[in-house]
Amino acid sequence: MIALTSPYLWYTTRATGLVTMVLFTLVVSLGTLVANRVGGTTVGRFELNELHRTIASVAIVFLAIHIITTVADSFVATGPLAVVVPFVSPYKRLPVALGAIALDLMVAVWVSSLLKARVANASWRFIHWFSWLAYAIAIVHALLTGTDARHGVGLVIVLACLATVAGAAAWRFVARPTRAAGRTALSPLGVEPEPRGVQRDRAPTRPAPGPAVESSARDATPFPRRPQPRRHR
Amino acid sequence: MGMRRRVGGFVLLVNPILCDGFGHCAELAPDLVHVDEWGYPVIVTEPVPLANLAALESARYAVRGCPRQALRIERVSDPH
Repeated sequence: MIALTSPYLWYTTRATGLVTMVLFTLVVSLGTLVANRVGGTTVGRFELNELHRTIASVAIVFLAIHIITTVADSFVATGPLAVVVPFVSPYKRLPVALGAIALDLMVAVWVSSLLKARVANASWRFIHWFSWLAYAIAIVHALLTGTDARHGVGLVIVLACLATVAGAAAWRFVARPTRAAGRTALSPLGVEPEPRGVQRDRAPTRPAPGPAVESSARDATPFPRRPQPRRHR
Repeated sequence: MGMRRRVGGFVLLVNPILCDGFGHCAELAPDLVHVDEWGYPVIVTEPVPLANLAALESARYAVRGCPRQALRIERVSDPH
């Protein structure tokens, strides 16, 4: 084994760890934007999706550098097996184990996305949900392992990343978009559908003597078969 | 355009079960896909000649860009 005693490997490990965390914060946030149907006017939805995919590729490269330099460095003894198998590292057993678990989950998400055309979409989505878990574990790994992450600028960066993704998670799970929740700006019609609250507003104010059955039946249709004529021009 | 003449055409097909109306296809292939009032794609049904490379490329982008993998390109032989 070559004695790799140069401090630069260790510095690279620490630096790429921080960069990887920032990049995966961007990836998760952009994925949330895509899932919540953001875009379509000033920025295309497909552009956000492309950014999500491309930054993920870059983040994986930085993650690979982070892992390779950690293993190659002799300053801390981790061992190549500790990269994927949890709880085998002599150095910081639990924090390195969390990194290994996060890596395993990320590899699952990555490979399923590479094979997206061959994997059933429901399976891909199920696997993709685990990216939240992977991110959470990776943040704990950063806080427990990170030499720079516990004070000063490093801590500020970690907390900013954590706050960003926590906000994205809250937004994703609170504002769950319904199917086809919104046309893009490129829709040829661009017509707002008939508001559903019309019946509720009208009923108490106007006790119409006409046939109530007909109007309620018309309002109860799940959606109009054809676009309603625009009233306001 | 290459040795072989491009014969036949293609159609872009959507699987309506998988489609969730993300609308990426309409942005990526605006000549082939329009979005209806509820955000779902309405795709040109008559075959586009394979010689139309721009349309073919945009259709491939749409297939690759679909977040639900709901699109595919199907070749149709020349009717003549």
